[in-house]
Amino acid sequence: MSARLSGYRNLVLSRLGQGIVVIFLAYVLSFIVVSVLPGDAITNSLRDPQSGLSEEDIARIVAFYGLDKPVLIQLLLALGRFVSGDLGISLQSGLPVADLVFDALPSTAFLALTALILALVLAVAIVVGVHLLPPAAAGVLRSVPSFFLSVPNFVIGLILISIFGFTLHTFTITEPNSPVATFFAALTLAIPVSAPLAEVLVSSLDVETRQDYALVARSRGLSRVKVFARHLLKPSALPSVTMVALLIGELLGGAVITETIFGRNGVGTLVQRSVGAGDQPVLLAVVVLSAVIFVLVNLIADLSVPFLDPRTSVTKKKKDLVS
Amino acid sequence: MTSTLVKRRSFLTGTGTLAALAILTACGNKPDVESVGSSTPVRGGALTFLIQGFDAGWISSKTSISSYEGNLWGHLTDKLVYVNEKGDLSPWVAESWEENSDATEFVLHLQKDVTFSDGSPVDANAVVENINAWAVGDAERGIAKVGLFPSANFESAKATDTRTVKVNFSSPTLGFIATLGYHGCILLAPATLKSNTDEQADLAKTIGSGPFTLKSWQQGESYVLQRREDYSWGPKALGYSGPAYLDTLTYKVVRDASVRTSTVLSGQADVSFNVEPQEIDSLISQGFSVSTPRYLGFVDGFQVNTQTFPTNQASVRQALQHGIDRQEILSTIYTQDWQAATTFIQGTVPEAGDFADYFAFDQQKATDSLEKDGWKLESDGYRYKDGKLLEITLAANPYVPSDKAVDELIAQQLQRIGIKLNLKVVDVANYSAWQNSEPPLLHTSRSFVDVGTVAGILTNRNGGEDWFKLGDSDQKLNKLSDQIAQARNREERAKVADDLQKYVLDQAYFVPLVQLVQRLYLSSPKVRGIQYNGLAYANFYTAWVTQ
Repeated sequence: MSARLSGYRNLVLSRLGQGIVVIFLAYVLSFIVVSVLPGDAITNSLRDPQSGLSEEDIARIVAFYGLDKPVLIQLLLALGRFVSGDLGISLQSGLPVADLVFDALPSTAFLALTALILALVLAVAIVVGVHLLPPAAAGVLRSVPSFFLSVPNFVIGLILISIFGFTLHTFTITEPNSPVATFFAALTLAIPVSAPLAEVLVSSLDVETRQDYALVARSRGLSRVKVFARHLLKPSALPSVTMVALLIGELLGGAVITETIFGRNGVGTLVQRSVGAGDQPVLLAVVVLSAVIFVLVNLIADLSVPFLDPRTSVTKKKKDLVS
Repeated sequence: MTSTLVKRRSFLTGTGTLAALAILTACGNKPDVESVGSSTPVRGGALTFLIQGFDAGWISSKTSISSYEGNLWGHLTDKLVYVNEKGDLSPWVAESWEENSDATEFVLHLQKDVTFSDGSPVDANAVVENINAWAVGDAERGIAKVGLFPSANFESAKATDTRTVKVNFSSPTLGFIATLGYHGCILLAPATLKSNTDEQADLAKTIGSGPFTLKSWQQGESYVLQRREDYSWGPKALGYSGPAYLDTLTYKVVRDASVRTSTVLSGQADVSFNVEPQEIDSLISQGFSVSTPRYLGFVDGFQVNTQTFPTNQASVRQALQHGIDRQEILSTIYTQDWQAATTFIQGTVPEAGDFADYFAFDQQKATDSLEKDGWKLESDGYRYKDGKLLEITLAANPYVPSDKAVDELIAQQLQRIGIKLNLKVVDVANYSAWQNSEPPLLHTSRSFVDVGTVAGILTNRNGGEDWFKLGDSDQKLNKLSDQIAQARNREERAKVADDLQKYVLDQAYFVPLVQLVQRLYLSSPKVRGIQYNGLAYANFYTAWVTQ
């Protein structure tokens, strides 16, 4: 096995190990945070002014769910269940947490993925425009990302719904999972996400344009379009790969609002419901899920960088010398 | 993560109104007025009802049923007794009942041939199992009793034949029959009651005898109910007992209020839950209807803590009672659909009296009370006594959306008499912690179906909730409370209820604001025949959609 390959394998293994540690810490930390917050789903609903239950009644039910035990004991019990693959029961709905999460996941994953693709398309469109349009138009286009960033997600959503849903009847809000409704929900999510992506692409493109190799290519008589497509795009894309990985978090956060406004059921609305009620098992499951996704995406991003740019070597210098 | 989410959420609701206005102007096209006019019910058709969310889950007996879940349960299940918006009780699954002279023994006679949707009969045995579940619950399985059920003196429920149930209490319980019309007391098939909590959480496995059955559902998103063709035991009080007119009734969760409103305005849905009071006039002028049914219970107002500074001082309580201008609240925040409180219980409760004089707005009286007690106005515009500032921290009730605006106005009103009101924002998740912190004033919104409930709440007697933190120190309140609890007939009890209301208001233990409207319904002119029960729940059983 070549040193480069075994170096790559070591990188994969160490990153996987780190990932598992990250997920474990995310679980423990969020368990503690959620336990410190006042109220839980059971106590909240029993204490609803409408319920009219006595303290004794409330205490008996709270004890049934083990919520009267010390936090450390609750954590150990939950960890035990978690390791054996049992995510527990939602305190709020009484349904298995795994069912709730895996019911909500496909819808959100589809929304986020569509949004990511739309965001990439938007960002690339902006970059191409900035690079190839006449300076005046390009200048205007350069300010588009900061405009996108400054408009809140829910305003974009409400404007899109108002125009395309209620005025033009392009889609109906009561069928949030139809392809058209999904497209507009994804667009709502994509617009703010495309902004940082476009900015990073534009600025790294600016840097690459001033590099010697670009000047040489231009001086050899290649057209702007050819230089852009053949020489500049690939190195400029490098920082955006890392950026995309970071944006996954942004997509999940934005999904809460987008799903709320478009009436979609997904991980975002599940989180919103669970935070409001203090439904600990569901919150923990979602935090772990987010950690897993984050770790995986970053892993993929880190591991693909060496292929995009051979200069970033994965093997250590010493090893190179030995081989 | 949590803090950003909470912030985002409150940001979202805060700006929702603005966005709603934008949308309202964007789609102000008038609905088709031609369809208005027909008053003969039409069979068939589908109705879509937009609701804020089904978050409390589907274990009916585990917790109190929120208005959202309660509305859906109301179509899948029946109750023994129907209670209308005036608090009148009438037969439903129980076609008649008798009680003995001291209201300790009740006999319920059940309608013939009522069945659950799994085919099992709604007979005396099934009713006994339900009553036991409401009265006692099953803590071993994590199932609480129904909060308002008179459990403390409940003895037994027995089937004497297939259609007769005898229920015994150890002491007079005038409120028992009324409780059977309460939204927590829904009849479920014995098979459902026996199942474990995780099975009860699955709506498809919870079987009722209502006019609709569950056709399909996506948790937290949409729920489609379909008519039960063999249904023939609807409450007589609704003027109809046969199968529902609608083919299907669809509940659709749309969390954002402005989107719900606009969806109905654009004709994509028929009825929506809760609009902002300020939007009502504009909606009506566009041809839509907004129903603001009141429910039986306590008015929107403050429980006063008599043990916490500064409401432990009678002068401060009196100043609050007379320093709040309720008329200004009505005219500033609400529309003409809202009514002034006449006492601390809703005007629809049969025993509610008109004691508005006891808490009439009188700024002079309020300031006199404070002056006499030594609360001196300082140069900063607030009152001090023994170097202590007269300030109260108040949190709006997150269960009543308009309370925040009401509190802001009250803060201005109290500032005029030198009381400083600090407003605190508390969401549903943190409200119980707020309640436990024993604040000087606590917003109340509590429904009940029988005035007897009042006895078990005001003091700590009979396992009561001790709303005013008096313990049993107030002999007069104890006596009145006991008399209500032990009353054997309704006339006697009504007289005591009068005395109790006067006393509580005179002592300023409770500061009423306005009669509470917690559930508002926006509906398209195509929808007819919606009825509202004593808990202000929309009933679509008798509704139909014009073509």
